[in-house]
Amino acid sequence: MSLFLTQLMNGIGSGAVYASLALALVLVFRTTGILNFAQGEMALYSTYLVWYFTQHDLPVWIAILLSMAISFVGGAAIERVLIRPVEQASPLVLVIVTIGMFLAINSIAQVQFGNDIKLLPRAYPNKTWLPGNVQISSDTLVLVGVLLAECLILYLLLNRTRIGLAFRAVASNPESSRLVGVPVGRMLMLGWAMAAAIGALAGALVVAPVGLQGASMQSILVYAFASAALGGFDSPLGAVVAGLIVGVAGTMTTQYLHAVHDIELVVPFGLILVVLLVRPSGLFGSTRVERV
Amino acid sequence: MNLDRVHVTRLVLALVLVVGAAYLFGWYIPQFKESATTYLWAEAFYIGVAAMGLNLLTGYNGQVSIGHGAFFGLGMYTTAILMQSHNWPFVATLPVAAALSFAVGVLVGFPALRVKGLYLALVTLGLAVLFPQLTSRFVPHDLCRTCGTSQVGELPRIKLRPPSWTPTFIKFNDQWAYYAALAIAVIAIVGVALIVRSRFGRALIAVRDHEAAAETVGINIARVKVIAFATSALYAGTAGSCFVLVKRLATASSASTFQISIELLVAVVVGGTATVLGPFIGGVLVVFSDRYISESFPKTLLFWHINDSVKNLLSPAIFGIGLILLMYVLPDGIVGGGRRIATVAIRRLRGRRTSPAPT
Amino acid sequence: MTDVRRERRDVSRVRTIRAVALGAALALVVAACGSGRGSSDRTANPTTPSGSTGTAPIIDASQCDSSTLTQGVTGDTIKIGTSLPLSGTYSPFSAILHGESAYFSYINSLGGVTVAGKKYKIQLVSKDDAYDASKTSTNVDTLINSDKVFSLFNVVGTKNNLGVRETVNSDCVPDLLIASGAVQWGNTKYPWMLGSELVPYPLEMRVFVDYLLKNKPNAKIALLHANDDFGQSYQLTLEALVKGTSLSIVKEASYNAEGSEVKAQVTDLAASKADTFVLGGTLLACPNALTAAHDAGWKPLIYMSGTCVSKLLFTLAGDGADGVISVTPLLDPADPTNEAKPAMQLYKQQVKKYFPAEDLLDGIVGYGWSTAAMLQKILEASPKLDRVSVMETARTLKGISNAGLQLESSTFDTNKTDWFLGETFQLIKYDKAAGHTAAIGPISNLDGKTAELSPQALLHS
Repeated sequence: MSLFLTQLMNGIGSGAVYASLALALVLVFRTTGILNFAQGEMALYSTYLVWYFTQHDLPVWIAILLSMAISFVGGAAIERVLIRPVEQASPLVLVIVTIGMFLAINSIAQVQFGNDIKLLPRAYPNKTWLPGNVQISSDTLVLVGVLLAECLILYLLLNRTRIGLAFRAVASNPESSRLVGVPVGRMLMLGWAMAAAIGALAGALVVAPVGLQGASMQSILVYAFASAALGGFDSPLGAVVAGLIVGVAGTMTTQYLHAVHDIELVVPFGLILVVLLVRPSGLFGSTRVERV
Repeated sequence: MNLDRVHVTRLVLALVLVVGAAYLFGWYIPQFKESATTYLWAEAFYIGVAAMGLNLLTGYNGQVSIGHGAFFGLGMYTTAILMQSHNWPFVATLPVAAALSFAVGVLVGFPALRVKGLYLALVTLGLAVLFPQLTSRFVPHDLCRTCGTSQVGELPRIKLRPPSWTPTFIKFNDQWAYYAALAIAVIAIVGVALIVRSRFGRALIAVRDHEAAAETVGINIARVKVIAFATSALYAGTAGSCFVLVKRLATASSASTFQISIELLVAVVVGGTATVLGPFIGGVLVVFSDRYISESFPKTLLFWHINDSVKNLLSPAIFGIGLILLMYVLPDGIVGGGRRIATVAIRRLRGRRTSPAPT
Repeated sequence: MTDVRRERRDVSRVRTIRAVALGAALALVVAACGSGRGSSDRTANPTTPSGSTGTAPIIDASQCDSSTLTQGVTGDTIKIGTSLPLSGTYSPFSAILHGESAYFSYINSLGGVTVAGKKYKIQLVSKDDAYDASKTSTNVDTLINSDKVFSLFNVVGTKNNLGVRETVNSDCVPDLLIASGAVQWGNTKYPWMLGSELVPYPLEMRVFVDYLLKNKPNAKIALLHANDDFGQSYQLTLEALVKGTSLSIVKEASYNAEGSEVKAQVTDLAASKADTFVLGGTLLACPNALTAAHDAGWKPLIYMSGTCVSKLLFTLAGDGADGVISVTPLLDPADPTNEAKPAMQLYKQQVKKYFPAEDLLDGIVGYGWSTAAMLQKILEASPKLDRVSVMETARTLKGISNAGLQLESSTFDTNKTDWFLGETFQLIKYDKAAGHTAAIGPISNLDGKTAELSPQALLHS
């Protein structure tokens, strides 16, 4: 039983990371309708920035906040400069543009900062508690705490502020919003900006215990895609719940399904397939009705 | 009048393409070239073939897949296993690989009916990520027959030579791979051209443009979609077979399968979705840019000394930025954009003599 | 762009002339012997083997195209090629390239390497394969046929080299100092391959099992290994060595070699109550596994693959790395007691000169440096500068010592039956407080033992 609970905690720890990045993907998708392949690499660049600031003797938390602020501006700038010109193009063109960004950001980050493994200082002490033989690490607690904080802030921002109202209006119907005077362009930039900032935070926290390198975000991005699809691409709540499910499914596969224990992706993707067959828009996604 | 214009455009385009192809391939005779470049051409051909297949699905039928690397891998492993463990000649493995890919394509195509757009893309992403993990677990290694415990899925021990029936000017494996891939590419191009002009081709487009409307005119949507999926899988699988001939090994990792899937999608969009030749041209471009971008770096850029390591790291950035710029300039791809520009040009030319036709 | 095209035309012209000449020569040969076209590999004029010793040669050069045997040697330059991960998950191995480049820059600044009385400069061409075997295959084709290198050097990865062995065999290109301790390089069907001084993986297991039998005879072992050729070498040898002894393997787990996620596996292994942990993984999987074991409150005796002996990886593992046992054929640059040694001083001085940003204390850089020095030893021992002689020499090395950071009292030998270099090495233990490794016991000398200690299925695969 304690082994089960330990693996559950392990799963929740990694799931919290997938959930954060999935949340970023969902924010971008809800506003601009884009599947952002470059989300992980944007987070990678932000994490390199954190590393860079700590190299210049800034405290870690300050470095993370600074990087988040820069990422916020950077995300908005990317939307305005790179995405806006092709906003009306077909979804495939947008996918190719984000793939181009993926390649470019990854490679520029490595040229700029070097392609060796970077050590990122931890933002908090590394501790493990063993209540009743169940292993709980400070990593897991911090990741889950940060995820909850992100959810709370997003909820308050989107549901309790005027900006949030405008943001939701744009997400559900850009044309009508424009007509009633909502600054649509700015809201789109806001979506990208928030996504970039969330990615920066998730990146800095997940990379600290394992070292930073050019490929750090790629497998996490695949899991985040899986989570976003499972939860429903237009549902932030779905992304969070599905992220945790995907994380736990992974560790449980390793522990209990010995036939596939080193291919832990089988279960999450199996899950996605089953869920999408029953609910083609994901667990929490809304179904679109098409008028003929 | 209108029809005439279309015909003229087509004639001009066809002429340009034929002259271009004659220049490229007539100029390129593998017997006088070093094998690395010949292999690169062969790779360009098979990536082009797979991209044309994906275009049938994504361009003509509107189903986005970022998982065709899995079908590519299926063809690759089928051919490699038959050649290595059962001593089949390459050509004999082709129909098996194609049929198997088609069959698996049907199997995947059915559940894909339920899922649309982005969600379909992500389910297929799952295919791309899972396939290599399955091979690494279940494909037997040479070791397996002796020890029984291996889980390793690489098949890196393939020795290749041109078969005895090939003409004597095909001496070496690179030349054999080149002509085999070229022949397959020609067949594939003719295949796509025929499909697109057929009744089935029109059904593909009708389903893409408006499912409900297509249904009302009696098109069996499920059948069309599943066959589109399976046909594109067949193209990818056949291309995967050629991979074995060119690289002399079979290997799949999540990174490489994902990368091939993405390359194919890039090739389709760069070349021109829903055009016959566009994706093939896109595939050739993708393969060649991969090699020549890093080779054509200057030694220094302003004050910046570019060493080998920087070259290797920076070339994806050049490719990525190039992709973004291309999408700004030609969002409908090289062939699509070229056609659009040519049509406009011809209209202008004619417009001087006759009044523009209302459209 | 135009330059490239011009160059290519030139190549084609030369090729045409060569083809005509070859055609004429072949016609004569065919007329004389009445034989048809031989093997499909690039075979032209068979040559008589130019063995360096009086005894029968190991390399059968009769299948080699004599016109390419000195390819890559132009004037006073020898061009060699390498392929390694410079991007992707395995990109930390790119530090190897810095060590190599620093060594070649250093030796070139002294005039180069001396082969048969003449000095040659070394030019190293490197290509990125992201640890993907199919890219390695393309890179090797390009290196051999476009860049026209003399030999391959320190190509990284087990499957990556397995994937090109037919190519190097049929093109007669030495694949020297392969960066992998797999035992497949002892397969006599592929004489053009030679492993580097990395300890062959079965020998790692042999000395560790000996250590256990002596110090912990009832050890219950938990094994974590990568699910690829590399990880399997550990699994198969450990299973074979434990059989029939007082040791036992209580639990095995494997992880996906494409990533470095091992936490769930280690949690599972920790629950097995094993008192010994063997870690057959590489790069980031090593510190991740050590951290996970430490976090689980699991305190077994840990053996970690020699490929992870790197200051950076130890640092990443933090407290989890303390007391970890491994092996190395080289001096640890992080150990201050090595500081005064001339080999270490030269290494630090030169790497600092050519790669000021590089972490001198990291074993991965030291490995690249030492392998480059090994290449110099091989080239200089060769009586002639052609591929057959160099490969023949690499197969019959006598008493190679002081190659780069090679352990002081160790020598590397190869001969007709022993095709491995790194058979003399040191069992080491990491001391976290001191920040470096320290030797346990004397140097292990298992020279010539790799073949008999390896599972035969692996050796001949």
